[in-house]
Amino acid sequence: MLNEIEQNRKERQSAWEYVINYFRKRSIWLLHYCTGCGAVELPPVMTSRWDLERFGVGPMATPRQADVFLVTGYASIKTLKRMIRTYEQMPKPRWVIGFGACTINGGIYYKSYNVINKLDRYIPVDIFISGCMPRPEAILAALEELRNMIQRGEAKGYDRYVKNYDWYKKNQKEILEREGSLFGEADDENK
Amino acid sequence: MKTSDILNKTKELFPYIATELFEEQQGRVYVCSDHFLNVLVYLRNSSFVHLANIFAIDWIEEKEFELNYNLWSYDHNSSIIVKVRIPREKPEIPTVLDLWEHGQVYEQEIHEFFGIEFAGNPDLSPLFLHNWKEIPPMRKDFDTEEYSKRAFDVGEREGAK
Repeated sequence: MLNEIEQNRKERQSAWEYVINYFRKRSIWLLHYCTGCGAVELPPVMTSRWDLERFGVGPMATPRQADVFLVTGYASIKTLKRMIRTYEQMPKPRWVIGFGACTINGGIYYKSYNVINKLDRYIPVDIFISGCMPRPEAILAALEELRNMIQRGEAKGYDRYVKNYDWYKKNQKEILEREGSLFGEADDENK
Repeated sequence: MKTSDILNKTKELFPYIATELFEEQQGRVYVCSDHFLNVLVYLRNSSFVHLANIFAIDWIEEKEFELNYNLWSYDHNSSIIVKVRIPREKPEIPTVLDLWEHGQVYEQEIHEFFGIEFAGNPDLSPLFLHNWKEIPPMRKDFDTEEYSKRAFDVGEREGAK
């Protein structure tokens, strides 16, 4: 372990940070909040077949005590509003996993008037899982990768949110508090 | 009573409607918007106590909306769909809240997604959409793909690092 600490110090991570990250990655609480159909993949992951708890990951009922926000599937505009509130309630450090194709580019809801397309524009996502739906193995792989990212100090979504707060707020406002129609008068005349 | 008998009896009482036996237990009644309340009152009083659903169809080429009232009778085990067409310009139809109180949410939803006015309904506030500024989204002339592109797909990840 001393060798590892020495190695990480060379990579500009102090010994103290290394130890903190070491413990953080071993006690992850998943927020028990499900936005879309992806929630059906979570019970098998958490119960005996795949047994998430052997990695030190467990479900948590309230955002104030959770570490990882798992956005499972499509997010409608009304859900987005709640998601932003939930995300901002979570204490730092906090991480977001985008789950399934819907969070990446809208998935099969790409053309929908009521479902956002790119989740990363509204809250910072640390890691995406592709697929519709992702298999439980993919979820485990993503959590494993997230743990490695935490150890390496790379999962800094919460810092990104603070640094680009204006940009994220602008994007959120465009959706939630937009004034006026997106189709101008010129479009109406063409019809 | 069989569904076909119910349809024949309704046809006798209201000669201006058209009826069709769609399946053994499902009939359809076509009626114009001036007389549709009479037919609904009659069916309500002859044991069709359950309004299962109201749904709307946008026939944009014929410039009409079609409203469908799904009724169910527990006594006769039969279902009747009352179909009524109204013009697409300024669509308005009397409410059925006096017959079926629980029609409230159906009418609210149709008002939100098609823009059809239900005369006499006191509460037509939005149920589902958040901050909606466009024409009602389920109308056929609403371009959902273009809307999605303009609202959610604008620009790349400029700014975020």
